[in-house]
Amino acid sequence: MSKMEEPPLSLATVTGPGKLAGLIPYIITGLLLLFLPPFLPDYYQSLLVKVLIFSIFAMSLDLIMGYAGLPSLGHAAFFGFAGYIGGILMLKYDINSFWVVMPASLLGTVALAGLFGIIALRVRGIYFLLVTFALGQLLFYIAWYWRSMTGGDDGLVGRLTPQLGIPGITWDPTIFYYFVLLFFVLSFLAMRWLTQLPFGTALKGIEQRELRMESLGYDTWTIKYLIYIIGALFAGLAGLLFVYFNGFIVPRNLGLAFSGQVMFMVILGGAATLYGPVIGCAIILILEYIASLYFPERWPLLFGSAFILTAMFVRGGVAFYLDRFWNR
Amino acid sequence: MDRLDALRADKVSKSFEGLQVFSDVSFALKSGERWALIGPNGAGKSTLLNILSGVLAATSGQIWIGAEDVTRLPMHRRLHLGLSRSYQLNTLFPRLTVMENILLALNGHSSLKNQLFHRIKTTDRKFQRMQEMLHSVGLWVKRNSYVSALSYGEQRQMEIAMSLASEPKILLLDEPNAGLSESESTNMVEMIRNVTEGSTLLFSAHDMDVVFSLADRIMVLAFGKIVAQGTCSEIQCNSLVREIYLGSE
Repeated sequence: MSKMEEPPLSLATVTGPGKLAGLIPYIITGLLLLFLPPFLPDYYQSLLVKVLIFSIFAMSLDLIMGYAGLPSLGHAAFFGFAGYIGGILMLKYDINSFWVVMPASLLGTVALAGLFGIIALRVRGIYFLLVTFALGQLLFYIAWYWRSMTGGDDGLVGRLTPQLGIPGITWDPTIFYYFVLLFFVLSFLAMRWLTQLPFGTALKGIEQRELRMESLGYDTWTIKYLIYIIGALFAGLAGLLFVYFNGFIVPRNLGLAFSGQVMFMVILGGAATLYGPVIGCAIILILEYIASLYFPERWPLLFGSAFILTAMFVRGGVAFYLDRFWNR
Repeated sequence: MDRLDALRADKVSKSFEGLQVFSDVSFALKSGERWALIGPNGAGKSTLLNILSGVLAATSGQIWIGAEDVTRLPMHRRLHLGLSRSYQLNTLFPRLTVMENILLALNGHSSLKNQLFHRIKTTDRKFQRMQEMLHSVGLWVKRNSYVSALSYGEQRQMEIAMSLASEPKILLLDEPNAGLSESESTNMVEMIRNVTEGSTLLFSAHDMDVVFSLADRIMVLAFGKIVAQGTCSEIQCNSLVREIYLGSE
């Protein structure tokens, strides 16, 4: 290979391990996601859809929290906000075209993140956590009290399907699964691409030593602002897909508990890995499903216990141990 | 004709909630000069370097890089004007590799778009410069090691190398030989002398051997002000400096 043909190297990949070996888990997971679901019962297919949607949501938080070190307790605000925009457009204004609803939801979410980012990124660390929590709760209470628009605590409820304007599509659970899978794959690839760029290394640098990054010439505020908005965009996409999946959106989807839940998924799976949060989502949602079968009223107890056990014994997340196992 | 001042401080003062660290500090570093900043512990040397580099804001006074008033400019903008610095304590990125640390530093001098989105190819000038830098500090063989796995001395070398990555016109080094053994310190001085040829240098140090072997001129910060500045021999002969810092015979 001539010198000019040598592959481009990102800051993140220039030292990476053998690429082919690293792709094997992705290929296996991809094949399973592609071919297994049609043979699954509807309920398991539905559970898988939920895992995929929450995975997009968790990966979006991973960008902000795992890579950039911004622990947001208000990330659900973007998930819920996009969901509400979609729900309001479809149920209140009868605008059903997916090609209108999706851009409107995502642009609205980006605008909200642009505003919230200016406020929240004025502070760091624990104060960022508190400000994002407050902003999330602000939206929660707006959704709760603005009953005429949001349905208040009842939320917005309706049977919703993405109107793609493509003749011949009959929505059934399998088609919808592949629809969500497409967005999951695109989101994963986009976020992975972003983190493999020098952008990803810059985020890690900010997470480790922001002051040093500043003195090396990086405008860290702008970089954090960018990733905050990008993270919100993907959270919004997850929120919109969730509305189609669930058929309703309620204030809870904007609030603290929801943000806390997705934060736990990221921590359990392993922050700053992207695939870790996907694993975290799968573990939590499968546990929730099992709990719903045998002791639904005990789910909060189980969730809390999982949180404590993770903090004590799974620091670094499941991905850390998987990585170690795979690289052995 | 006088060379242009590379870095100038005009009546810079700093206080923390009423506690005055120093006041009315003024000096001018000509392009290509090597200055040492000395003074007893707690005199405010690191604080002054922090103000010059933008880590801290001055309570009053002005700082100039060339003809540009940078008093209110953030740190990253000062780097793009040619001012870089190292820290007294290592501020490397422990969970990135040696190579990633250097590449991060090399990329810092680019525009935001290039910093974030331009993939570095092995044929890029930056990649080659990274190789040169790691060879020069003897860390090429450890390029894929995490920085946290390096010895303290190697980390100090990395710290200096990273501050040099942007090929700065003005370099501020805060105690570059802090914590190094005598031989490591000698090597460090040699390395700094070689790599800062032609740059304007301001460094703080306690070790007088380092000061005299590296600096053309010295300024002494004590009692909250610059009490003396001049060539090494002038400072050595200064009775006040001998009394407060070097010790009278």
